[in-house]
Amino acid sequence: MFADNWKISLRQISRLMILDLFGLSTLILPGKLAGMTGADGIISLILGMCGGFLLLGLIQGNLRYMQGSYYEYMKENTGQILSDIFMVFYFVYFIALAGYVVYQLDRLILSWLLPDGSYWLVELLVLVLAAYGTIRGIEGRARVYEILFWFLGVPLIVMLGFSVASVNTDYWTPLLDTNGKLYMENSIIVWSFLLPLAGLLFLKPFCRKTEKLAGCGKTAILTVTMVNVVIYLILIGTFGQNTVQILKHPVITLMSVVNLPGGFFPRQDVIMTTVWFFALFALLHTGVFQGTLILKELCRETKTNYSMLVVLVLVFLTGNGFVENGFMEGIFEVYQQWIVLPGMFAILLLVPFIYHVRNYWNRRKGEKEQCKNTHS
Amino acid sequence: MAKKITKKLEENIKNYEELFSDCEDIKKRRIKVGQQQKKECYLAYIEVAVSSTDWKDSAIGKFLTTLRELPEEELVSYVSKNTWDISDSQPFETIEDAAQGMLTGDAIFFLDGYDKALKIPDKGYPGRGVYEVESEKVIRGSNEGFSESIKLNTALIRKRLRSPHLKVKETFAGRRTHTNVDLVYLKDLIYPGMLEEIEKRLQEFEIDGTLDSGIIEQLTEKRKYSPFPQFQTTQRPDRAAMAILEGRIVLLSDNSPVALILPATYNSFIQTSDDYYSRWEIASFTRVLRYIASFLAMTFPGLYLAMTNFHTQILPTDLLLSLAAARQGVPFPAVVEILLMELAFELLREAGVRLPGANGNTIGIVGGLIIGQAAVDANIVSPIVVIVVALTALCSFAVPNEEFATAFRILKFAFILVCGYLGFFGFLLGITAVLIHLSHLESFGIPYLAPFVGADLNGYQDERDTFLRLPLKFLKKRPVYTRDGARTRLKIK
Repeated sequence: MFADNWKISLRQISRLMILDLFGLSTLILPGKLAGMTGADGIISLILGMCGGFLLLGLIQGNLRYMQGSYYEYMKENTGQILSDIFMVFYFVYFIALAGYVVYQLDRLILSWLLPDGSYWLVELLVLVLAAYGTIRGIEGRARVYEILFWFLGVPLIVMLGFSVASVNTDYWTPLLDTNGKLYMENSIIVWSFLLPLAGLLFLKPFCRKTEKLAGCGKTAILTVTMVNVVIYLILIGTFGQNTVQILKHPVITLMSVVNLPGGFFPRQDVIMTTVWFFALFALLHTGVFQGTLILKELCRETKTNYSMLVVLVLVFLTGNGFVENGFMEGIFEVYQQWIVLPGMFAILLLVPFIYHVRNYWNRRKGEKEQCKNTHS
Repeated sequence: MAKKITKKLEENIKNYEELFSDCEDIKKRRIKVGQQQKKECYLAYIEVAVSSTDWKDSAIGKFLTTLRELPEEELVSYVSKNTWDISDSQPFETIEDAAQGMLTGDAIFFLDGYDKALKIPDKGYPGRGVYEVESEKVIRGSNEGFSESIKLNTALIRKRLRSPHLKVKETFAGRRTHTNVDLVYLKDLIYPGMLEEIEKRLQEFEIDGTLDSGIIEQLTEKRKYSPFPQFQTTQRPDRAAMAILEGRIVLLSDNSPVALILPATYNSFIQTSDDYYSRWEIASFTRVLRYIASFLAMTFPGLYLAMTNFHTQILPTDLLLSLAAARQGVPFPAVVEILLMELAFELLREAGVRLPGANGNTIGIVGGLIIGQAAVDANIVSPIVVIVVALTALCSFAVPNEEFATAFRILKFAFILVCGYLGFFGFLLGITAVLIHLSHLESFGIPYLAPFVGADLNGYQDERDTFLRLPLKFLKKRPVYTRDGARTRLKIK
């Protein structure tokens, strides 16, 4: 009837995208921005958002010409070899992203929920869960986050509302005190956190109303930027720039100091960790799902699920690499900003360009043949 | 191979009695009919199913009286032309069909010179009649409950839905029990595919016997390993009628007072009949309570363990101190303590269910009050654990559907273990796993979590009857179970 048709709604895609973009950005960006630009971080957030819209525009441009899957579209326009290379590029990105998210999930859980726990155990358990979620297909995945959306959103809004009381607006100054280079650098960091938008390219075959798919991306960028700006202003206003930059997870620390009326629960950090657990898990789930999808297409696997196993092993190893080698985090950031971002741009520009050139060429050829036929 | 009924009465009697040899409960009588009493007929019936002592006022009695008044040569013509005045009589052409007809509780009639057997209905098998429903109690609304007779049950639904669109499709299940199974639905509201699907699933198994609808339920469920039921059950005809009005299908099985409703969703299990009979404010309030109860019935002991063993910082100091004081002297770790009490509670529950009425209540009092108090006094468990277990039990009782509540009762133990080992992280893992499972689950093509998911399929209308039940005037559309184009339920003039 309705279930098991591998189709998801726009609301589900919007919510999925919001959670995908929300988790890492709210957890990591405030510390990074505060360290470099202070209160000016909000400008970087807004500039990053503009970058996100630029990326979305390119994605939308590609979605317009796609008939089937993204892979088929690329293959049709750029040929087998190039499209395979592009797919490998996306595959590596999603695996690296999933590995990084596993690492961040590890850090989150071991910092706030299970200080004496083992990295291995946490990593293994979340990956088993991600596998369970992936094995059942996209519909189940979309439904999980559709239902979780308000359960996570409402407490977050309430907590942010209560935390406003502790904001000291003096900390918001000086504003516009950063040089252009730093703005640019920070904007690129923010921008790189919006890269999971690329997932939209792979969602088209599953979307019920494909013509409005890019709208989901718009909603996600706007919502996440708004939340990031609010959180950032509250964090800077509550702790000050210097403290925010040294805290591991400033936003969760904020949750631990918010005083709820009545004072029955003195600390909410443990409970509020739920929000970031699910947001990060959503992104991990996206990485595993997209990675599996790409590998399946590359290997032309239809019935079995070996691709998912390969993806899980790769994500596990990558996550473990982050845990074992502290420098990997820096490498990942560089990879995101200087390889994935420009690479994605190049692919998103190149494929429609070839599409247009081919169309133009075919049209010319058709006209010539028509002329020849008329003369003969 | 089926034996044809012939015009020779003796041959038919021989074949019939061969089939029912050594069946002392089946009465077989040879009777003379016709004005001269020269023609012989044969009547077979199950002793208690036919009023054998007083035939005067029964259909059989009247039929035989008529036959005695007719001349012998007109008897066969009279019987074969089907001109007697008995409803639901049916001719059979084979001995096996006739036997099956008798086993439904009616009498079978053979006449010399007539090559068919007639089923003549009478009072049928003994049954309870319409009784007050024992589970699914409501504050407001009908108290009639389904009984073991399928005919009575369909009549109870028909009494509420007096529409020619109400269809009752009959089929049989069980190789030896040959149990009647009825599918009841409103033809203009259901998705035809849904009806085809349940009919297909009913044909997919062959079993010795189906003595209760529970057997059919398990054999036709798609996800057999899921703890969550994929059919909704009810003993209330008004609930069944309400489901039919929503475009759902009700499956009735003979000898079972429990009807199955398909498709089922999480939301439908939380709804009760009187949600719609009471004012929307109280209906919404109790609905929210039931949702919270379903969540806590599964997670409360686990959350208690996570908070007291792993994350004490989130509790106020005073509460923490009193918890610690209450646990003083208890020799077991908290997880063992909780497991002990939960198992003891489940034992009490099981004992209470199996014992007859009054004794069952006694077990509740003895177990709950005396053993609980004694366990606390003996420092085997802390008083706070007794409170946690009791509250969890209350929550599970507040879930209106027993089968649905059972899923939470089972999952509760998994949560105790995982939270006892991993604290709040274990809780998050558990809840994610349950959520993923539920989001994949579907019942006859409808997502189990509808309308919280996929609400766009019905223009977000179904969300008006979930956590909150909005005023009836706002519930103008039928839920997503109803076929497209037939979803208008209410028109305000």
